[in-house]
Amino acid sequence: MWLWFSKLGSPKWFYELSGRWLPWLTAAMIIFMTIGLVWGLLFLPPDYQQGFTSRILIVHVAVAGTSLAFFPLMFVAGTITLVWKMKLADMVAKNAAILGAWFSFVTLATGSLWGSVMWGTWWEWTDSRLVSMLFQLFLLIGVISLRSALEDSETAAKACALLSIVGCINVVIIKYSVEWWNTLHQASSPISTDSSSPNGPEFWIATLIMIVAVYLFLSVSLILATRNEILERERRSQWVRDLVLKS
Amino acid sequence: MLDAIQFASFAEFLDMGGYAFNVWSVYAIFAIFITANLILPMRKKQKIIRQLKRRMAVDAEIQSESDET
Repeated sequence: MWLWFSKLGSPKWFYELSGRWLPWLTAAMIIFMTIGLVWGLLFLPPDYQQGFTSRILIVHVAVAGTSLAFFPLMFVAGTITLVWKMKLADMVAKNAAILGAWFSFVTLATGSLWGSVMWGTWWEWTDSRLVSMLFQLFLLIGVISLRSALEDSETAAKACALLSIVGCINVVIIKYSVEWWNTLHQASSPISTDSSSPNGPEFWIATLIMIVAVYLFLSVSLILATRNEILERERRSQWVRDLVLKS
Repeated sequence: MLDAIQFASFAEFLDMGGYAFNVWSVYAIFAIFITANLILPMRKKQKIIRQLKRRMAVDAEIQSESDET
């Protein structure tokens, strides 16, 4: 177990393993993304109230749901960095913050584009779901700037781990905001097996496929960024030199 | 299966039941988001490898010069 753990923490081992996984993850991502987009854009029936704006929701729900995974991921990575001094976990945490900020921004932008026609407003400061998601974006920008200010020191890792605890609490708030405070943003609709229901299988299966596609994209993108980080940090080691010579 | 396509013509598909701007903006943002976060790290990797190659070539040159003297 400990041998396995220290092996997992070795950047070289991760670089080789992820190199073997990447083609499979990428292929799965392309398949799910294609099915999700074709289904979503061509086959999804119009909603009885929303018309074709329901096509926005399959993208919005998938990106928004996935964006909640970043702070828990950064918290776990931060703990591993601080407790076991594992460099790899710190590299993952660093790149997760950047990708997470993208996710939060796309969630807000796609949500606004839906809200502007269905709610009649682009933004509502009194809505807890909207504001807590904006807070997540700001927290992630905070983590990114903290890291660039403190370079990759232990202080940076500690400060970011601390901020990710705040981020995790905020994730819980985002998740339950629609139930605790009933303002503008609707709660998630219960899924239905009845195909005549507005939230029948045609809609939620399409959403589910997009969620899988977006999670696969998250893994591929995060792995690519982490591999770059490994190459830069380990550039003086023999295995990176050999790798550069071969390419 | 083709019967299940919701649009009778390509123009209707583009129109999205009158919500063309909002629907297509969302899909455009999504497409940029996905491709940027895949293409940028891939290009960065090539850049890193190019830089490392150059540095190693310079190192090798310095090495061979100091061998001659």
